[in-house]
Amino acid sequence: MERNPNKFWNPYLAGVALGLVLAATYLVMGNGLGASGGNLRIGVAVLQAIAPEHVAATPPLARAVAGEHPNWLVMELLGVILGGIVASYTAGRMKLEVLKGPRISVAGRLAFAFAGGALMGLAAKITRGCASGQALTGGALLSVGAWVFFMAFFAGGYGLAYFVRREYR
Amino acid sequence: MTFPLFPTHEWGLVFGVLSGFGFGFVLERAGFGRTQKLVGQFYGDDMTVFKVMFTAVVTAMLVVVVASGLGLADFKIIADHATSETLLVPFAIGGAAVGAGFVMSGYCPGTSWVAMASGKLDGLFTVLGSIVGAILWSEVEFRPGFATFHNMTNVGNFYLWELLHLPPRAGPAILAAAVVVMAAGCFVGAEKIERLLARNADPLAQATPGGRRGRFVVAGLGAASLVGVALLALPTGTAASVRAAEPVSQLELARRVFDAPWTVRVIDLRPAAACAEKRIPGAECVPEADLPKLALADAAPGRDLVLVGDGALAQPPAAAAAYPGRVLILAGGWKGWEAFALTPPEPPAPGAPLAEVDAYRVRAGIQSALTGMKAAPPPPTPTAAPSGGPKKGGGGCSG
Repeated sequence: MERNPNKFWNPYLAGVALGLVLAATYLVMGNGLGASGGNLRIGVAVLQAIAPEHVAATPPLARAVAGEHPNWLVMELLGVILGGIVASYTAGRMKLEVLKGPRISVAGRLAFAFAGGALMGLAAKITRGCASGQALTGGALLSVGAWVFFMAFFAGGYGLAYFVRREYR
Repeated sequence: MTFPLFPTHEWGLVFGVLSGFGFGFVLERAGFGRTQKLVGQFYGDDMTVFKVMFTAVVTAMLVVVVASGLGLADFKIIADHATSETLLVPFAIGGAAVGAGFVMSGYCPGTSWVAMASGKLDGLFTVLGSIVGAILWSEVEFRPGFATFHNMTNVGNFYLWELLHLPPRAGPAILAAAVVVMAAGCFVGAEKIERLLARNADPLAQATPGGRRGRFVVAGLGAASLVGVALLALPTGTAASVRAAEPVSQLELARRVFDAPWTVRVIDLRPAAACAEKRIPGAECVPEADLPKLALADAAPGRDLVLVGDGALAQPPAAAAAYPGRVLILAGGWKGWEAFALTPPEPPAPGAPLAEVDAYRVRAGIQSALTGMKAAPPPPTPTAAPSGGPKKGGGGCSG
């Protein structure tokens, strides 16, 4: 079979597939999918290796250690990595590179990626979940907060998109 | 109720890897490992993010709605378990910040892992940034000032059907159908915008039109939403099959009240005075008129609800039928209980079959325990155990 790295699934069929994965998670675990909670758990694991007393003294960090759900989210992220490796390799998209537009340097793009990631990670703590944990998981279960998040997310994205366009095109 | 399965911790972790695999695989194949496809959403020429996300939301919603309609699951139990509380102001401000971080980094926390897995260094840097950001906020969120903002305007678990004052059983199905209509409209709009802006599009992020397959998917979602609504009307729907009250015998209830009282919540519907005088151990005295005050529809479903009427109850009152867990009706009501548990049983005749003697012992024990009698009813005359094997089948005429 010919592999075309620019060919993606039909978005609606991909959406159905994603929805079925999410629904299976609801029906088996009673939980949805998420990424930001697992990120926190990984960060806490690193901190605990360096400064365990500090983790114990900081309630949000100590909670991440004590809970069972954060560990589940880390296993889920492990699955995400495996799924991403298999899917990108078989589609011919596995390649060591930096995705960016022609008008920005590699260092600049990586700096923006890190800063944007930090802003997102911080804000996802405030919203108790990110695009997957809040918008997808909560949105499908008709949580008002998830729909507030969904709209605010798009507002924030459209608001800033013009100013960072040099990153991509 | 069959779902959620709630597996053991270990099996849950195994399932976590599996569901993560599906999540990551689909995100990659949808194009979410490529930053240009993701941010194309915000330049208007590639609406893949919106199409995939909204279709996924609608699909998952409909699966849970239909499963609830068939009585296999309960929408609200899953929703209470899987969603967070709603905090209006933090979500509005934080949501905008997540959106801003998304266009800056080019990923969201989930897709950055997929990008990293396919070798994209910008994905790796987004992952590292997200971890640092999550730690940073955890360091301050509980401190004075920050905590006020972090926890303000918390309205608890709050759902759109509650916002719109729809009934809790039918609300999710009705809203799901409305969301499908809204989604179909938005998809038509998104395809149109993509066509208008196609000439600006990044060569690495060409929009994928839905085409015939897309229309087929939307039609299928529409059909599923109609099934979800239709199931509300069927007698086999949630309202009947989950809430159909089962009878519970006096003996069974007595066993549970003594051996595992935490598994039942006994509600005595007789007038308060009668109930105050004598009742089943642990029973709450709630005359039928006061039943709505218990808000059983929103109560935790962990315990089985046992309803005790004066005589035999045919149907649970509506306020009790809304209880999300099992609803049981005590067979024979209070009168039956009184005759069974509070009246000394007749000792079996000498030579009665063993089963009858056993039943007498149990009833005598219950009666003496409940009435606080020092002297239990007289012990039965011992019967010689029949030698060899169980007694012949077809009881009832053995005397």
